[in-house]
Amino acid sequence: MQPAVEICPGTTLGKVREGALIVDVRRPEEVAEVTFDVPNYLHIPISELEDRINEIPRDKEIVMVCLSGERSLRTTYYLMNAGYQNVYNMRDGIIKWAAKGFPIKGNAEALAQYASCDCSKPNCC
Amino acid sequence: MSKVIKILGTGCPKCKQMTALVEEVVNENNIDAQVVKVEDIMDIMTYNVLTTPVLVIDENITVKGRVPGKQEILELIK
Repeated sequence: MQPAVEICPGTTLGKVREGALIVDVRRPEEVAEVTFDVPNYLHIPISELEDRINEIPRDKEIVMVCLSGERSLRTTYYLMNAGYQNVYNMRDGIIKWAAKGFPIKGNAEALAQYASCDCSKPNCC
Repeated sequence: MSKVIKILGTGCPKCKQMTALVEEVVNENNIDAQVVKVEDIMDIMTYNVLTTPVLVIDENITVKGRVPGKQEILELIK
């Protein structure tokens, strides 16, 4: 297996502006608090990805995202295993995206509780 | 023949909990098994799993995304 290609939020923003699709795999309650304010955005919780993978187009660049980049890395490999050619993982997730001042909707302060996430939350992994 | 029990997970608390429970079950029941932690993401993704922890017994995925109780682990291993 080839290693997944990981990109930073800045590169992600550039790709989105060129038409790439952000696929956010966080839980619905996480997305309700704060989310990406970008035009090309699809929310598929990681628990639903197996059933909904066909919603992700194969003819676009895809950037998988989550809170910190860990869950989305697994989903990046999952898509690679499913034959997706142009799929990337965004390192450090929406935490870093928001810290960079990139467009979000919702309460950015909600992310502060995760700033030093040690992955101890019941559903974090 | 000795069983090979793998716990797939990137080191989160639930993965550590599963590992501890599996080791307890193996030791308490004198089961001939090798317990292996798999933490490298590329090794984990060779099993194509989305949620962790994952319990793999003799290369068969038996539990995904949750921590089973000791009784369930025992039944799966035996």
